[in-house]
Amino acid sequence: MGTQFDIAFVFEYFLKLLPFIRISLVIVGSSILVGMGVGFLVALPRLYKIPVLQRISQVYASFFRGTPILIQLFLIYYGLPEILKLANIDVSKVPVLFFVILAYGLHSGAYMSEGIRAAVTAVDRGQVEAAYAVGMTGFQAFTRIVFPQALAISIPILANLVIATLKDTSLAFTLGVMELTGKSQTLVTMSRHFIESYVALALVYFIISFILEKLFNLAERRLLKHEAPISSKDRVPMGRKWLNSRIDGEIALSKGGSGI
Amino acid sequence: MIKLTKITKSFGRNRVLNGIDLTVEKGEVVAILGPSGSGKTTLLRCINYLEKPNDGEISIDDFIVNCRNPAKKDIHALRRKTAMVFQNYNLFRHKTALENVMEGLVIVKKISRDEARKLSIELLEKVGLGNKLSSYPSQLSGGQQQRVGIARALALNPEVILFDEPTSALDPELVGEVLAVIRKIAKEGITMIIVTHEMGFAQDVANHVVFMDEGVIVEEGHPKHIFNSPKEERTKQFLARITPESAYSI
Repeated sequence: MGTQFDIAFVFEYFLKLLPFIRISLVIVGSSILVGMGVGFLVALPRLYKIPVLQRISQVYASFFRGTPILIQLFLIYYGLPEILKLANIDVSKVPVLFFVILAYGLHSGAYMSEGIRAAVTAVDRGQVEAAYAVGMTGFQAFTRIVFPQALAISIPILANLVIATLKDTSLAFTLGVMELTGKSQTLVTMSRHFIESYVALALVYFIISFILEKLFNLAERRLLKHEAPISSKDRVPMGRKWLNSRIDGEIALSKGGSGI
Repeated sequence: MIKLTKITKSFGRNRVLNGIDLTVEKGEVVAILGPSGSGKTTLLRCINYLEKPNDGEISIDDFIVNCRNPAKKDIHALRRKTAMVFQNYNLFRHKTALENVMEGLVIVKKISRDEARKLSIELLEKVGLGNKLSSYPSQLSGGQQQRVGIARALALNPEVILFDEPTSALDPELVGEVLAVIRKIAKEGITMIIVTHEMGFAQDVANHVVFMDEGVIVEEGHPKHIFNSPKEERTKQFLARITPESAYSI
């Protein structure tokens, strides 16, 4: 770190990093979508206790939760093409981003499946019976009664996962993806202002996480409005409110990166 | 007319219902009594197939379900002809009182939202909750929740309403308001089957009392006969134990 710390570089790098937020968010967004799909498919056999599939989804979940995301990235990027080659499928032209999204998607899917399972079982069975008694079909009972409530319950889990994934995307640079961390690496090699670049990088990640956290809090409050005791009249005083949100924030942050 | 024929139900090896025959006339209010574990709730839940009977036949007017191998659409049809009020209310927690009542009308009966809203408001007013339309279940007392549950059942305009111990989960001071509502709708001639521990209420409101024990109907008939001059020894024992004269002293 040859050069002296210069705050001006932090600002400069910060601005230079901004355009690369997009690619990081693309990775987060797509892999969360993939993860939701996968998580849902994996949760179903366990919710409905389907014999063989239940075991398979258990193995999947414990593998992706029990190994570091960095290793998963390598396995999927370097290992998957080898396996596909055996089946005569050539994937050498497929962009890196695809593998990255697949890896993060499968990784978050494992966590998502656990979240979905917990949320669905948290909606009490009696309401499903009531839905049946009213004359709804199984599908109607799920979509009208269970799903909306499970969604609200799983918002905090989802929020943690999205923020954890955002931070985990910093590892995608190891495969040469030009996202936030990747870009900051190149900035450093040009100017040798290491610390400034990492400070700027940390700031960018923190600001995005902070905004996401607030958005999820908002969504949660909206979706759980039915559990709030009579609102508006007994507002929490400003100080308490600030304290509460601080505690929420700390809990969310302590989850940290799920990877290495 | 509802007719149950030879309904049997086992949980594993445990036989809970042992060939139940029961006929309920239109407009009748049936109270099912009996000690806990006698199968009353299971019987009630078999009528709308929340519990799957092993054998027997359920018929409502000309509609017959054979319980040995019922078609899925028959079960569905059966549920649409019945409604249930649960011990734990089981309201949809993410919906307001009004939405709870409307849900079945809009989703199952496919009635237009405006019409469903109008009907639901009428029903909630009838159970005395006209001022709680937009409250969520978490903002209502147990008694109020149960009255929403009753309005939800009434909205479906079923052939029969099944009450599964509707006051058992309530604070004693809230029991009265729920019983009053049930009494009110009983007078309108809606067919009802009520599993209850409220003996006074059964005696007062029901016009057909069924006493069950160990998965069979021990005795049934008019409440006057069952309560004042029961024929079976088992019924006498049960009634003796729950009437105040013999209440235990400390």
